[in-house]
Amino acid sequence: MYHSSKGILRKNRQVVEAVKGISFDVEFGELFGLVGPNGAGKTTTIKMLTTLLTPTSGAAKVLGFDIVKDVVEIRRRIGIIFGGERGLYYRVSGRENLRYFADLYSVPLSKRERRLSELLETVGLSDRADDKVESYSRGMKQRLHIAKGLVNDPELIFMDEPTIGLDPQAARDTRAMIKQLVQKGKTILLTTHYMFEADELCHRIGVISNGEIAALDTPEGLKRFVKDITVIEVEAFGVVDADIASLRRQPDVKAVSANLEGERQTVRIQTPKGSEFIPEVTKVLSGAKIFDIRTKEPTLEDAYLRLVT
Amino acid sequence: MALILRDWPPYRIFWSSATFAFKALFSWLRPAMWLTQLLVLPLFQMAFFVYLSRFVNPGTTGVAFIAVGNALQVASFSSIFAVCNLTSEEKWQGTLTPLIVTPANRFPLFVGRAMFQILNSIATIVVGFFYASVVFGVDMSRTDFVALSVVILVTCLAMTGFGLMLGSVGLYMRTAMIIANIFLFIGLLVCGVNFPVTVLPTWLQPVSYAIPMTYGTMAARAAVEGSSLVLLAPVILQEIAAGAISVFVGYLLFLGFEALARRKGTFEEF
Amino acid sequence: MTRLQTFWGSFRMSLLHFFADPQWIIPNIIAPFVFTIVALILFRDVSGSVALYAVLGGGMMGMWGNTLYGSGFALAFDRWNGTIEYVLGTPSRLVWIIAGRSASNAVLGLANALAIVLVVAIGYGAFFAIADPILFLLALVLTLTSLSALGVVFCSAFLLSRSAQVMTNGLEMPIYVASGSMFPVALLPFWSHPLSFSLGPTWGIDAMRYAADATYVGLGFGYWTDVLVVLASAIVYLTIGFWLFIVVENKVRRDASLTEY
Repeated sequence: MYHSSKGILRKNRQVVEAVKGISFDVEFGELFGLVGPNGAGKTTTIKMLTTLLTPTSGAAKVLGFDIVKDVVEIRRRIGIIFGGERGLYYRVSGRENLRYFADLYSVPLSKRERRLSELLETVGLSDRADDKVESYSRGMKQRLHIAKGLVNDPELIFMDEPTIGLDPQAARDTRAMIKQLVQKGKTILLTTHYMFEADELCHRIGVISNGEIAALDTPEGLKRFVKDITVIEVEAFGVVDADIASLRRQPDVKAVSANLEGERQTVRIQTPKGSEFIPEVTKVLSGAKIFDIRTKEPTLEDAYLRLVT
Repeated sequence: MALILRDWPPYRIFWSSATFAFKALFSWLRPAMWLTQLLVLPLFQMAFFVYLSRFVNPGTTGVAFIAVGNALQVASFSSIFAVCNLTSEEKWQGTLTPLIVTPANRFPLFVGRAMFQILNSIATIVVGFFYASVVFGVDMSRTDFVALSVVILVTCLAMTGFGLMLGSVGLYMRTAMIIANIFLFIGLLVCGVNFPVTVLPTWLQPVSYAIPMTYGTMAARAAVEGSSLVLLAPVILQEIAAGAISVFVGYLLFLGFEALARRKGTFEEF
Repeated sequence: MTRLQTFWGSFRMSLLHFFADPQWIIPNIIAPFVFTIVALILFRDVSGSVALYAVLGGGMMGMWGNTLYGSGFALAFDRWNGTIEYVLGTPSRLVWIIAGRSASNAVLGLANALAIVLVVAIGYGAFFAIADPILFLLALVLTLTSLSALGVVFCSAFLLSRSAQVMTNGLEMPIYVASGSMFPVALLPFWSHPLSFSLGPTWGIDAMRYAADATYVGLGFGYWTDVLVVLASAIVYLTIGFWLFIVVENKVRRDASLTEY
């Protein structure tokens, strides 16, 4: 739980329960995914497991060490990679950033420089290692984040949305690096917004919603939540929120997701009725211009949607 | 009248700018901290120079000169330092570009954001005079309070204008913080705060007379001694002129920066 | 050994940042420099070793400002940079990380002090002679150590508060006054003397004046008492600093206030 406040003179303090009840195990060598909507509690969970936050109640062990009592032992053995622009010292070089964290992780001086060079080679930053980080592209900064998270050669790596904000090529390169780490025997706990990423990378996925685990299974196992349904995908223009609400009220609709921005809006309707439901959909969306309407097999994203709505 | 003003775009921009800057300030500066700045800084700065003057000159004749000078100068933290940093903070937080791309008239946008610091400056000076009188024993029995009030108001407005000019200069630099720091303190030396401007080398005195505070300290001391508003009018007018010139120059620099940054795409560089 | 590595790594990183943007030293030179010139102008009709108070005092202010400013800002800087969670997430104790940065800022402060003294000496012709250079140096080093240790204490307070910079600005002036940087502490109201005597820099500057001027009277306890008190203050500050960091670290972990700024 954490406190948040509004107001200048009289602060209205609220107590926010970020994580209510979460319980899971991660096996050695596994790539475990935590997915959920914004505010579900993914980042809070990661911060507790990486000893940056103390839980209000409950217990957890990381590599056999208690997250409250054995903080230093855990920190020695884990790597932390949070996505985003920040988290690096912009006014110094990439190599200096790594060197500093190598010192903070007490990497032996005899090994330090060689490890820095190897890491920079692995993430493809050798030729830019001595340039200031402020001159790096977004993708390069993320690669440096990954190198930084590996500087102490951790057994277990926590990644919080590592591909967020990256262009498709950079994101693909990052996912390739993540797979290589798993092949080398690292254990990874990853949070992500992108279901296709979780589907591609993770051995098992935990779905968090409102601070609790809604489901925990392999990607294929989660897809079984939606095995009884078909997805009707509509591409249109002129769909409004009221149309989506109206679709959701239909008895044969299990879930609806919509992206109403731009000229090509997309609406995905989960229904057990399959293509028989298409006339109903076109009736509700009669005010919009429909470009395309088709049925599809449900994906992990659809399973996720069922679980969190 | 209020209803008419409310719909007048420049007024709306000015007021929005002012209230937003107020809220933005207090999102990070808790009221308790602001009060500490308001109450602690004037006291200790004044104490430093008063005790220094007592060490140099064990009689108390120099104390009133220094206390009144410092009572006015402490407003520099709001009027110069805080105002000068306004645009630097926008750059740092990445909100300068969204601000610039609005069609809002630049002048009320530019000036409105300094509104709260004007009020802050006035409050700081009032606190400063309280300390000068109550703590350091400055005799205010002959003071022309009307004249002093006008001097305080004009000084705050003029120095805020000076701060806006420095803020515009700061736009061209990586950060305005350096220039803000320089001018925050340089007043102690050149604005007649701790000794008359005439003590300074001749080559330095033009700098003194370019800064509105110099006129303010002269006028404030005269007002404390009992000079009326009429007698002080020439000095006050000179201060207004110095302040107006600062605002004008600052506004031109602001527009110039906007044009340059649009050509080069460098709004957020810092 | 690992503590030394952490200390040295932080010391080095802090210096690298300084050299990346050396103009940031300017704010810490301006105030003491201006105060020194103002003091020299106020002293203009006084004979005797005015430089001992004005110039040494100005140098000391340059040193203190940098130490306080640098240490106070150290974690606020990490907060703004978004690196604080990474730094806190390492196994290194935060107190050694900050100690390294504090020490770096103290060294820069020393350079600052020398610059002020030299500029004023050359530009204004105001020099103070040092009767016993070795004792002077000893007092200087111990004062520097005490200041770094004090910076460590402030840093933890600033970790709890959003307004680190405001607090730093708010603290400088009271310390310049209370420590008698440019005038004897005896001039201050008697009720403020306990506060003055609780500050390491008060004794440090007194010790330096003793070492510089054989005729100096000062606080009246003599050089060696002053030096012992400065040393004791450094030990006390470091002890408080160690304890406070543990308290602060636990608190920010409990209430998730680490990244707020």
